[in-house]
Amino acid sequence: MQRISVTERPNLANIAAEHELEHIADQGITGWNESAYYQFTRRQIEEDLTGPVEEIENLCFEVVDRAVNNQEVLSRLGIAEPFWDYIAESWRNGEKNLYGRMDLSYHGEGPVKLLEYNADTPTALYETSVLQWEWLEQATELELIPRGCDQLNDVHESIVNVFPKLDIRTMSHFACNHNIEDDKGTLDYLEECAREAGLKTCSIAMKDIGLDDEGRFIDFDGQVINTLVKLYPWEWIMAEDFGPHIPSSGTQFIEPPWKAILSNKGLLPLLWGMFEGHPNLLPAFFEDDPAAAAFANAGSYVRKPMLSRQGENIKIVHEGKIIFQSDGPYGSDAHILQGFHPLPVLDCGYPLIGCWLVASKAVGLCIREDKTLVTGRDSRCIPHVILD
Amino acid sequence: MKSWSSRSAALMMSVSLIALTACEEPKVDASIYESIGQCKSDPHNTADQCEGSFKEASSQHAAVAPKYSSAEDCQADFGQGKCEKAPYKTSSGGSVFMPLMMGYMMGSMMGGRGSMMSQPLYRSAQSPNSFRTAENQNVGSKTGGTKVARSAASRPSFKNSTRSRGGFGSSARRFGSAAT
Repeated sequence: MQRISVTERPNLANIAAEHELEHIADQGITGWNESAYYQFTRRQIEEDLTGPVEEIENLCFEVVDRAVNNQEVLSRLGIAEPFWDYIAESWRNGEKNLYGRMDLSYHGEGPVKLLEYNADTPTALYETSVLQWEWLEQATELELIPRGCDQLNDVHESIVNVFPKLDIRTMSHFACNHNIEDDKGTLDYLEECAREAGLKTCSIAMKDIGLDDEGRFIDFDGQVINTLVKLYPWEWIMAEDFGPHIPSSGTQFIEPPWKAILSNKGLLPLLWGMFEGHPNLLPAFFEDDPAAAAFANAGSYVRKPMLSRQGENIKIVHEGKIIFQSDGPYGSDAHILQGFHPLPVLDCGYPLIGCWLVASKAVGLCIREDKTLVTGRDSRCIPHVILD
Repeated sequence: MKSWSSRSAALMMSVSLIALTACEEPKVDASIYESIGQCKSDPHNTADQCEGSFKEASSQHAAVAPKYSSAEDCQADFGQGKCEKAPYKTSSGGSVFMPLMMGYMMGSMMGGRGSMMSQPLYRSAQSPNSFRTAENQNVGSKTGGTKVARSAASRPSFKNSTRSRGGFGSSARRFGSAAT
């Protein structure tokens, strides 16, 4: 794995406009950096990344399989009792999942380590599947990068192929908070993929979803929502006013309810508990577990809220000293402790490898660089190539 | 994984360019008024036409207006003080709320009377300047003669189920982006 500096394409402002992305003079496209790229060997991709990621996905399924039959585990994850049967049923019925992104620490050699699994509301999807791919094509054409560069990027085709297999009966409604441009942009892209796959779709703001007299969710025109593709976390909708109506609503949710188990950082101690010592896992414990205290005493760990987003409320302790701490709105929630496996530093950037799974197959890579050890809102996507 | 060169460049380029826009619908002539008085002051109408269409629209109002099981939900959609009790009860005996009728729409006199039934119009809290049909279709802010989408001119449906809205979305207001 190398970080290689490269000339940017000359017309970034136009490219940004074409993709409806923000472009700031001297800074480039917001959230995107093509002044360098990461280069991997095919062996690194297949043996170190996609292989282990699909293996971890299977371990995750074993965790779900155990969790749905174990009330103690479900309550430890903070999932309210009215949803236990609902989640268990969605798993037993084999409700299909669309996508997710595993965030990994990788140093170019040695086993990759799972830092967390964004299994419910992953973003940076458009940057991965469209922007990064277009960069590869154009950078090759402009001879900015060597001939013959490949990319792990079947994200778009995979999503288009999987939509018709999700058992969607009629129209699907795509919902998120429309005030957040990034969320809306990602969801619009997913909606385009669904349309390309021949599905009927329409978009709705989460706040505009209604409930009718028979407990069904309806859209603004009073039409019943049969399938809801949401970019809105399970833990939020379960806790909101309409949450209690979800299990009896008859609405199909994508991602399916059982993803609530995987999108929770409580997944990490559950994985470690079942597969302790697995080369791709870091030790992890629920904070209220007595083992966590002993683990913390050893002096190096990362403390994360079970439910947090974009690097908020993370604390890193190394050799007894706090070396990183971020604010956020999740500080009062339950936490986990995880082993500290720092991201590598390449040219002052800390690259976090995001591996995209579509229908549980590892089909894309998205590298985000931040100036700190914890990848947050200011991180930027940076393209990658495969070249032997 | 497959070789990048085997992949269709056109496919990826096209993705961002597909706009998610609805198809344009043919438009029909209609007239929109806030009150009988406004209708009568329009030289195109006779007083009889104005009174007849107002009566027709207001007699439909209670049946076709969207229904809510709480006044708050109704006001969230239509604005403070813009809702009233509907002459219905929920299955559990609770009150039902609906927006106030804020105007009415009648078919064009030019196109011949009877081409369109009159129907009540509403104004949402989000865009109080525009009129909406009971089917929540925006028919613009212009009063007098205007053009509306053909589907907006069709007869509104009877709304028997009560609605509540806004039961989702509160976490986003607190936490912001859902992205991980």
